Amino acid sequence: MKLDVNALGTFHRIAREGATLAAGRLTRLADVDTQVGVTKLNFMRGSELRREFEDGERVGIRVALSGGLEGHSLVVFDRESALRIVGILLEETEEFDGMTESAITEVGHIINGGHVDGWADVLETVVDVSTPEFVEGSGPEPFFEGIDDAPTGDDLAILFRSRIEAVGTEIGFDHYLFPDRSSMATLLDRIRTGEGVAYDKLEGFDRMAERGADEVAETVTTMTGIETAVEIRRLNFVALETIPRTVPDERLVGIAFEFDGTPSGYLLFLFDEESAHAVVDAMVPGGADGEGFDGMARSAITELGNIMASGFLDGWANVLGTTIDHSPPEFVHDIGAAAVDPIVVKLGERQEFAFVFDTVITADGRELDCEVYAIPDERDLERALDDLEVDRVEEAPTTAEFDSVEGS
Amino acid sequence: MKTYGTEPTVPDPVQVGIAELAVVEGSDTLKSYGLGSCLAVALYDPGTEVGGLAHVMLPSGDDVDGADRKPGKYADTAIRALLRRMVERGANYVDVEAKLTGGSDMFEFESFGESVGQRNVDAARSELEKLGVPIVAEDVGGSRGRTVEFTPATGAVTVRSSSEGGEVCEL
Repeated sequence: MKLDVNALGTFHRIAREGATLAAGRLTRLADVDTQVGVTKLNFMRGSELRREFEDGERVGIRVALSGGLEGHSLVVFDRESALRIVGILLEETEEFDGMTESAITEVGHIINGGHVDGWADVLETVVDVSTPEFVEGSGPEPFFEGIDDAPTGDDLAILFRSRIEAVGTEIGFDHYLFPDRSSMATLLDRIRTGEGVAYDKLEGFDRMAERGADEVAETVTTMTGIETAVEIRRLNFVALETIPRTVPDERLVGIAFEFDGTPSGYLLFLFDEESAHAVVDAMVPGGADGEGFDGMARSAITELGNIMASGFLDGWANVLGTTIDHSPPEFVHDIGAAAVDPIVVKLGERQEFAFVFDTVITADGRELDCEVYAIPDERDLERALDDLEVDRVEEAPTTAEFDSVEGS
Repeated sequence: MKTYGTEPTVPDPVQVGIAELAVVEGSDTLKSYGLGSCLAVALYDPGTEVGGLAHVMLPSGDDVDGADRKPGKYADTAIRALLRRMVERGANYVDVEAKLTGGSDMFEFESFGESVGQRNVDAARSELEKLGVPIVAEDVGGSRGRTVEFTPATGAVTVRSSSEGGEVCEL
């Protein structure tokens, strides 16, 4: 079973069209303007997926697929989003009863239908969908029970995260496809245009994300003395233009790098102003002068960024068994989107989608959030993954010597 | 069923995200946040007060498959799509004027070559010239981000520098 960027692009388009269809239907049903927000393709380990379900209550539908595509498909809303749907279609409510269940089922069914029709079109076949089953609960069991193909342990699942924006509100949902393996292989063969990378090698992705994130958290802790941990670590496959849309609309402090090797790409660390001040206070004895980010404050953050970049890329290079050099740091203090869009504009010359290694580092009990965006050039990434021997991933040391190339 | 929008309120500006475009009339306001190397193209017809804003990401979509699905993404396709939609809403093609802002170079990376932002500016200028639309004002280039607001009724484009200091200029 192999997949390539084109196949993932097709998945992305199908997901987006599914969400668009659902938004259109909501508009007609409730007479409310809606539009599709960000759509992401997400890769997640089975064990993490289950852990995510442990957190909070969820509501959704599940169906069995047969015919051209065998497996199961789930559309899942968190409780708040589900209540918002009911609020739009019926009226405000706190509980789910027969009426509200059927509203959720209807919307879930529309979203799922949009996806399944998309896949059926690609496969040029008919996909049969069972009657949707309403599921609710906290914990993974009610959702995954009895689905043999649901990922466990280190199995990597592909899921689709989308948002529909309605007047003054937002409905988020996740769509999971748990296909039968051979069925998925056929689907991927159909939509792949290149050689592709073995699906199992995607595990390398996850290891890269993990090592990179851990190294960054460790660096921040060492440099600032503030205990930090990796809060979110996601590997997203998104349309390039959605990246600036997910960055906060506020002035941020960032340090950007280009990196060169296998793979090449761009790396950006973004701190909100308060976190940036916290970093400066921790690194500069007696604090820096003034409120702004000039002089001492700027050099402290830039220095921290430089070491974070080395650690992050070091983690990647170890997993991949390659060498990655990075440029000197570029400091930016501007609206978040303005710091990200030059990278998106540059990559957009050659690619439509990007893998974004999305990481958030936080400190316990203190204001210190750092968002990390690592966006590799897709061609290099495919090659790097293809060369990856999954077996050696486990053997790679966590920390190794790494020389950043200054002034290159 | 719940109904929305019954309270009389001042309408919020319509957000035009990266790779999007929108056409409105009169005092409706369009807004794009945090342009770095991206370019905002504002077109309007002062007579009919029909105008549009595109938040352009790349220079040219003519050789790109599927560019018609996202016309707002490319300078050339965005300008043509804006003009078409404006004319459909009653604008007079010959009276349409253009204002440009954005196209900064935020980083000096080796891979960025001469300038990432400037290519978008050049592409927009050349497409507008081809179509005979005059550029009446522009604030492009530099190394800062910009937030842009545009109202067709007055044709005013307000550019807020989003870096420290945050000066405002009116085009």
